[in-house]
Amino acid sequence: MNRELALVVQGISKSYATTKAVDELSFEVRQGEIFGLLGPNGAGKTTSIRMILDIIKPDAGQISVLGGPMDEAKKSRIGYLPEERGLYDDMTLMDTLVFFGQLKELSRDVARRRAEEYLRQVKLWDAREQKIEALSRGMSQKAQFVAATLHEPDLIIVDEPLSGLDPVNTRIIKGLLYRMAERGAAIVMSTHQMHQVEEMCQRILLVDRGKRVLYGPLADIRRRFTRNAVEVQIDGQLEQVDGVEHITRRDGHYRLLLQEGVRPRDLLKRLVQRPDVTVEAFEEVKTSLDEIFVEVVERDLEPGEMPGQEMPQEEHRA
Amino acid sequence: MRKTWLIAKETYKRRVRFGSFLILTFGLPLLMIVAGAIPFLAATSAPPSAIGLVDHSGGLVPPAQVPVDDGTLRVEQYGTEEAARAAYLAGDIGGYLVVPAGYLDGEQVTFYADEAPSDATDTAMAELLRRAQLPGAQPWLLARLSDPAQRVLVAIDTGQEVTEGLGLILHFATPAVLGIFFAIAVLLGSSQMGAAVVREKDQRSIEMLVTSLRVRELVAGKVMGVSLLTLTQFAIWGIGAAVGIGLALSSVTGLEGLAVPWRAIVWALLLGVPGYFLYGALAAGLGVIAGDNQQARQLAGMLGFVAFVPFWLVGVLLEAPDGLLAVAASLFPLTSPMFSLLRMTLAQVPTWQLFTALAFMLLSLAATVWFVARIYRAAMLNYGQSLRPEQILRALRQA
Repeated sequence: MNRELALVVQGISKSYATTKAVDELSFEVRQGEIFGLLGPNGAGKTTSIRMILDIIKPDAGQISVLGGPMDEAKKSRIGYLPEERGLYDDMTLMDTLVFFGQLKELSRDVARRRAEEYLRQVKLWDAREQKIEALSRGMSQKAQFVAATLHEPDLIIVDEPLSGLDPVNTRIIKGLLYRMAERGAAIVMSTHQMHQVEEMCQRILLVDRGKRVLYGPLADIRRRFTRNAVEVQIDGQLEQVDGVEHITRRDGHYRLLLQEGVRPRDLLKRLVQRPDVTVEAFEEVKTSLDEIFVEVVERDLEPGEMPGQEMPQEEHRA
Repeated sequence: MRKTWLIAKETYKRRVRFGSFLILTFGLPLLMIVAGAIPFLAATSAPPSAIGLVDHSGGLVPPAQVPVDDGTLRVEQYGTEEAARAAYLAGDIGGYLVVPAGYLDGEQVTFYADEAPSDATDTAMAELLRRAQLPGAQPWLLARLSDPAQRVLVAIDTGQEVTEGLGLILHFATPAVLGIFFAIAVLLGSSQMGAAVVREKDQRSIEMLVTSLRVRELVAGKVMGVSLLTLTQFAIWGIGAAVGIGLALSSVTGLEGLAVPWRAIVWALLLGVPGYFLYGALAAGLGVIAGDNQQARQLAGMLGFVAFVPFWLVGVLLEAPDGLLAVAASLFPLTSPMFSLLRMTLAQVPTWQLFTALAFMLLSLAATVWFVARIYRAAMLNYGQSLRPEQILRALRQA
């Protein structure tokens, strides 16, 4: 067993009637990393999570959680924030947290102490005796997050943990997630907020129609999708440039799509040498994850056509 | 078990604070006490301390006083009805009894007062006339005359002597009353259980819960929590009733040596408590299948009526309390608590049958919790929708 792997999913499939919700999906998540699980609505993310957590059984494939098959003892080492939020609305916030902590094998005293710490951290201390039904959406979201992670689990699966939060609360929850990853917890984050994934995740898996379409380190994926293009701001007019295939102008900037084999620094040299323009800014264009997501999903490609669809060799070592 | 207990405790704590629970638990008995007390208070008036007697027969030797309730009733004799009437109007006596000349030949006595005498005064007047006709008679003779058929009753099934009056009622009515209590508890508990499960669905906390404990622990905890809630309700009502009955009987004499039907009480608990949990688990299952609260309550209500089926079959029981149908029904888990108790009033139910019924009951309870746990998981992930038959079958296949 590789101790660094918190989660190994190998070829899992799940069908409902005639629909294949998940189709031979494989991926791994390491301890201490924040892993992005992405995909359009109905892609099979929630079904995959439920199979990982043993809420539903896969039709085929194997799942290794924290070093082996899922069992009852491991439930207290896993934290799950589901997409369907729900706490008992007639319980107070403190009682709710202590209750969920106890269900995760914490003693009542430890659960209460942890709850106090977390409530102060997420700025909910003053609401500790309020009933859940009295909390605002953002407060309730934070409360649910704390309930899911109070026991400091080794594997944390969070479904849209930041949705509905204002920037201040977003920062608080992100801070907690970073700290949990630093502690060594493996975090699987399912979200549609691509900018958060770009900021927080080291590796991602993009699922579409139950299949894996992108998988690997985020930097590699972005590099694979980065077009040979630059964005420049100049004093002057650009109509034709050697080595440039296409020029578009927007917001006072020019975006230049370079011809095959032309490097950005070659273009910069040419522009600097031109007497009719003065280069004020020059930047390589990096394709955003949002653009990659849209492109992959809208192009509706088969996995074989996508870059990065193969699992990296070293990650096969389970 | 720890997590099951934790779920039960939280379920209990949350629901015990519901306004509806508090109103039903404390409001209902209060209402019954008020409803019962009003006519009682209206009908009750202080018994008179003295009564007048006008004897036209000339053959009576009335005593100076007769016992009434905890005290005595003074007897004032008057020569004429006018004198007795004057004493009554002056407030010296609470009424007067006129014995006609032909009393010893069968004529009736007349009692004059503005209101009907109480039962105690009536009894005292009867005693007065008995003693007046038999001056110097021994107390045992007077007692025998008042109740010539005094006897000892021995129950055929137990061979034990049963005290007359209240003892007789205790012997025959206790199992039936316990059975009725059980049926009412099931009716109330099933409804609450169905509603609790639907509420659980609405709260959408299932995914957090099933990643923390086994579904069967969750279901067992829910059933236990809601069931304990109803049992609390009955305990409060029971204690209240016991205190009330105790107070009412405190002035009644002759209760010493009363044979309490312990066998019926013990078996009522042994079969009734798991039986109640069984109905709770089934109601949870119906709540799981139901799409909304209304549907859950309807289904649970129907289940509750199953508990009353034995009452409809009392005729069969009376005809053949040891017949095949009666024995089968007292072994079948859904009817065994009621049928076994009702049979106890009519026949000697063999102990092996009771233990067999208990074994069937416990097995059924375990199987029901298992079954409900399977469909519970499937239904809870099917947020806000009722479970279709094919989904139930699929959930069971995946077991």
